[in-house]
Amino acid sequence: MTTINKKRQFWQYPWSYREGFLIAIALVIAGFAIGYVIDKEVKAITFPENLVTGGVIILLLLITHLFFRKHEFVKWIASVPAAISAISAYAFLVLLMGFIRQNPEESSEFLNRTGLSHLTSSQAFLFAQMYFLVTLGMVTLKRIIPFKTKNIGFMLNHLGLWITIAAASLGAGDIQRVSMEINDREPVFVGTDQQGNMLDDMGLAIQLIDFKMESYPPKAFIVDRESGDILNLKNVFSLEMGARGNILGWEVEVVDFIEFGVGVGDKFHKVYDVGAAPAAYVTAKKDDKKLEGWISCGSFRFPGNFLDLGGNELLVMDRPAPKSFVSEVKIYTEDEEVFETEIAVNSPVTVNGWKIYQYDYNHDMGDWSDISVIELIKDPWLPVVYTGIFMLMAGAFYMFWTGNRKKTE
Amino acid sequence: MEMISFNIVAYVTMILWLAGCLFIVFGKKGNILTISGNIMVFAGALLLIAYLVILWINLERPPLRILGETRLWYAVLLPVVGIAIYLRHGYKWFLYYSLFMASVFLVINITKPENFDKTLMPALQSPWFVPHVIVYMISYALLGASSYVAARGLYFQYYRQPKPESLKISDNIIFTGFAFLTLGLVFGALWAKEAWGHYWTWDPKETWAMLTWLSYLIYIHFRYRHPQKTTSALWIIALAFVVLLICWLGINYLSVAENSVHTYSGQ
Repeated sequence: MTTINKKRQFWQYPWSYREGFLIAIALVIAGFAIGYVIDKEVKAITFPENLVTGGVIILLLLITHLFFRKHEFVKWIASVPAAISAISAYAFLVLLMGFIRQNPEESSEFLNRTGLSHLTSSQAFLFAQMYFLVTLGMVTLKRIIPFKTKNIGFMLNHLGLWITIAAASLGAGDIQRVSMEINDREPVFVGTDQQGNMLDDMGLAIQLIDFKMESYPPKAFIVDRESGDILNLKNVFSLEMGARGNILGWEVEVVDFIEFGVGVGDKFHKVYDVGAAPAAYVTAKKDDKKLEGWISCGSFRFPGNFLDLGGNELLVMDRPAPKSFVSEVKIYTEDEEVFETEIAVNSPVTVNGWKIYQYDYNHDMGDWSDISVIELIKDPWLPVVYTGIFMLMAGAFYMFWTGNRKKTE
Repeated sequence: MEMISFNIVAYVTMILWLAGCLFIVFGKKGNILTISGNIMVFAGALLLIAYLVILWINLERPPLRILGETRLWYAVLLPVVGIAIYLRHGYKWFLYYSLFMASVFLVINITKPENFDKTLMPALQSPWFVPHVIVYMISYALLGASSYVAARGLYFQYYRQPKPESLKISDNIIFTGFAFLTLGLVFGALWAKEAWGHYWTWDPKETWAMLTWLSYLIYIHFRYRHPQKTTSALWIIALAFVVLLICWLGINYLSVAENSVHTYSGQ
């Protein structure tokens, strides 16, 4: 025991990196091996098991800290070498995720059984995460019990991360995602969850009043007549009244533009009717050639039109890209409340614990659509995760404030 | 916005920087050469900032959507970091590096013009968009700067006298860069909850962003525990920066990322 520093045997205290990395590697390999043998993915636990599990983990960490913190192993598990081995194990699995397509349906049996094709629900990931949470939890307890104000930055970063990861993992099983296709004829109260089950107990019914869609001006493309390839991808030309520009040597000018039009023969007329589509009267000049005519992208109801530039080139109008889509809806709740609101991308509506998102729409019909697909999401652990996230944010601001001055401690 | 005017702005900026650097190389502290050099370097950066502002106004959306636009931000922010550190600490080599790297990005944008397209898909129309990307670009600029410090440190380590003080500089930069990296990640999570219904979905970009964050996390812990082991620390910075580059630029070429919500190609 006199040669502790230089010729310390494996597994002889005090432990360092070697032991940390061996534990990490053993956990990852064991995880993959167990996965391969039992051939089952890790199922997210639900309420109340997840809450109990979280409580038990916290209790065990607390007991270990309060009664065994002098033990060499406990000292080690709260040390930087243990932390680095745990971060590395976690980072290694994330690295695999960065290279292996996470799609069990298209993967080989080996990838599926070990869990490499669905890493977040693999045993290896579970073990690495547990190791991560144990080292992070122990070092956090070491620094915050007893609490000193100079450790506040440490606490925000470490406890914040612990809460975020623990709550996100334990709460994953309680997340409900239900998609619902609503229409303007009647209130809908039935939806489909991600497993394809029909659900009707959300306590809500929703009716579409109107689906509103705005679009950007459509783009002009020159496409190859045979292959259909777009030839001017890097050179975008937006079709608007009066727009001029050069596409692949063609001087193009928009002489007339109709937002809602219908073609009759070779001519397009302003008509505001279901399925009306944008149309532009353009001239195209190159060398001594001059061509002109109507182009339109058409719609599910009316045909479009293109301008034949000769050779293999056709001048076409692309379908306009959506600028915004909004569902104006009427919501009926269980407690007989009725109100109207708007659901748009990036601005979900919260009703009775459900967040309601604009999810999809009828791409063919666009603005003329009489249906809209919305998604109802409930995540009861979100406030806990956000507590952790806001601690991390506060911790980041604390880092700006102090820089790395505390390193000398 | 026509790309022609971008090319002119980029060339003028780079000429100003080059001239400014030459003046600073031959100037002495406080003399007229150095001061004119400083002014030229400044003027170049200001010109680029002005171009970015005009681009923003003309596009009617934040110019942060496609890779070419994020390169432009990088070319603006890296000189800002470089000039700040040069003025604060007097590291001329750091200024040269940041201006050189910014010029590389300008040249890429000149040779690979991507369309400055006005369309912005609804999911990107969010108050989170600007803070999320700008915080990331600041972080990338700082961490990119630290990687140069690391490369220089490694060069001195192996071929000249080791310079332990180079790590002090990179520590300061990495601490600040890491704080921005954390904010970028967190802003992204909060935004994702509003836009897609969940704060974390292991989208390929998220996966690589997490990996980048973990890499710098390893560096910070390693430095904390072993302030003396400079060579290993320098190598960790270099590796972490490779991960960052894959996350930022390499992701578009990874087959796993085909369906990512974050692959910003030109279309």
